[in-house]
Amino acid sequence: MAGSNIRRKKLATSNRISAYLLHHLQSLMFSLRKIYAAPATTIMTVAVIGITLSLPGGFYLFLKNIDAISGDFRSSSQISLFLALELSEKQARALDKKISKMELVDSTRFISRDKSLEEFRQDSGFGKSIDTLSSNPLPHTIIVEPGEADTFAVRNLLNSLQAMPEVKIAKLDTEWLERLYTIIEIARRSVVIITVLFSCAVLLIIGNTIRLDIQNRYQEIIVTKLIGATDAFIRRPFLYGGVWYGLLGGIISWLIVEIGYLAISGPLGRLNLLYKSDMNLITFSFHDFIILITSSTLLGLAGSWIAVARHLNQIEPS
Amino acid sequence: MIEFHNVTKRFEGGYEALSNVSLKLDEGHMAFITGHSGAGKSTLLKIIALIEKPTRGQALLNRVNLNTMPRRRVPYIRRNIGIIFQDHQLLFDRNVFDNVSLPLHIQGYRPQEIAKRTRAALDKVGLLHKEKSLPITLSGGEQQRVGIARAVVHKPMLLLADEPTGNLDPELSREIMQIFVDFNQVGVTVLVASHDLDLIDELDKPRITLNRGKLVLNDLEDIPQEADGGWQ
Repeated sequence: MAGSNIRRKKLATSNRISAYLLHHLQSLMFSLRKIYAAPATTIMTVAVIGITLSLPGGFYLFLKNIDAISGDFRSSSQISLFLALELSEKQARALDKKISKMELVDSTRFISRDKSLEEFRQDSGFGKSIDTLSSNPLPHTIIVEPGEADTFAVRNLLNSLQAMPEVKIAKLDTEWLERLYTIIEIARRSVVIITVLFSCAVLLIIGNTIRLDIQNRYQEIIVTKLIGATDAFIRRPFLYGGVWYGLLGGIISWLIVEIGYLAISGPLGRLNLLYKSDMNLITFSFHDFIILITSSTLLGLAGSWIAVARHLNQIEPS
Repeated sequence: MIEFHNVTKRFEGGYEALSNVSLKLDEGHMAFITGHSGAGKSTLLKIIALIEKPTRGQALLNRVNLNTMPRRRVPYIRRNIGIIFQDHQLLFDRNVFDNVSLPLHIQGYRPQEIAKRTRAALDKVGLLHKEKSLPITLSGGEQQRVGIARAVVHKPMLLLADEPTGNLDPELSREIMQIFVDFNQVGVTVLVASHDLDLIDELDKPRITLNRGKLVLNDLEDIPQEADGGWQ
């Protein structure tokens, strides 16, 4: 008797859980059907959300590309050492060997005076005028590639190299790089600000859409409350509506950004050809895509939650 | 089933819709509330349906005090009640079947059970063949019967009807009232507010008459009237 009671209770609980899940599924389908039934309204709302989110999305991608390019620069930052003119090639080669064994130094490349002159003669087009020079004005040069190190360590290396008596000039062109990094940092913060602002805009758009939706279904809410619907039951389709708006808006913003980058990639290819460079446009990775979609969906849920919390409780049968 | 002890309902602005009303309707019984419009019939039903709360006095449903009902429990209490409105309150964006099955969805019935019970309720009001129709295409009497089917589909213990025949001709009104009598015969407690005195006379059921919020006639079992303000 007691056993059958427990079994019945268990059965009732599992029934209730499956009924609960069923209603979630029904709310999901119901909100989807509503979207399907009013495509014009939905498309407009979703397009506004998509366009709004494509701005921070696009900026983020822009930043990601700049980051990748400047990362190449960072790894290729080298120190050029112009040695004193009176140094013989033998002495210079000995110095090269010494420097290559220093800490922080990844590799070095020695360019003798003669080779420098030869290269200059070929590349510059001043061959004839160089021939008129009585002696070679170019010094021996050592190109130092620092290993993985931060700017500060590279700067220390530069100072110690500069301090060597054989070295006339040690040159590290990092100033423009630092300027670039500062600009990137400004851009990065701008992207954060834009993202926050536009997320708020999406929150408001979705909140307002759901608010109108609630007003349109005023009668339905009253009736369902009168026949015993809980607040959670009434809330659910609206929340799913917000989730759909967010999800679809996220997908549209992704499409907008991808199409925008497709449009840019043509001229960029030509630019690559002209500069003989190898810049590749980075688009959204799968990880980025998931983050974009998840956050837009969560924005949709949050926006509808705000609307529902504000307006649903005010609707009571009278 | 329903007990009112010195219930007074005063609205903002001082208008008293119910004054010191005491009554008792036992389980399985059926009664009519009569009176002119504005006599307090609707307010009495609204207090039972937890739409309004008494200003003073005590209202009990199945010995549960309705005055102090917390908001979150209201839906569960309402699931024991079937409410029929004068204006049907049907949802016009869905068909008859979906309208009638709504209470079952809310209470989390399984789809097969929902279909079975909905068709049974529609059959009872003679509208099984209209399950796919939209409410807007139905006549007033048919719409009211859909409203009744929705009110009884989840087999409530108590049926409340507020002027269910208000807009119907006498023949249709008689049919509707007969449906209520039938439900009462299978054990449902029924309380109908109506001013259709001729029809009520035919049916020979106890009557509660209100006049400007005061109980002027009570055919039901008496409960002792207490001094004004005895219940808080």
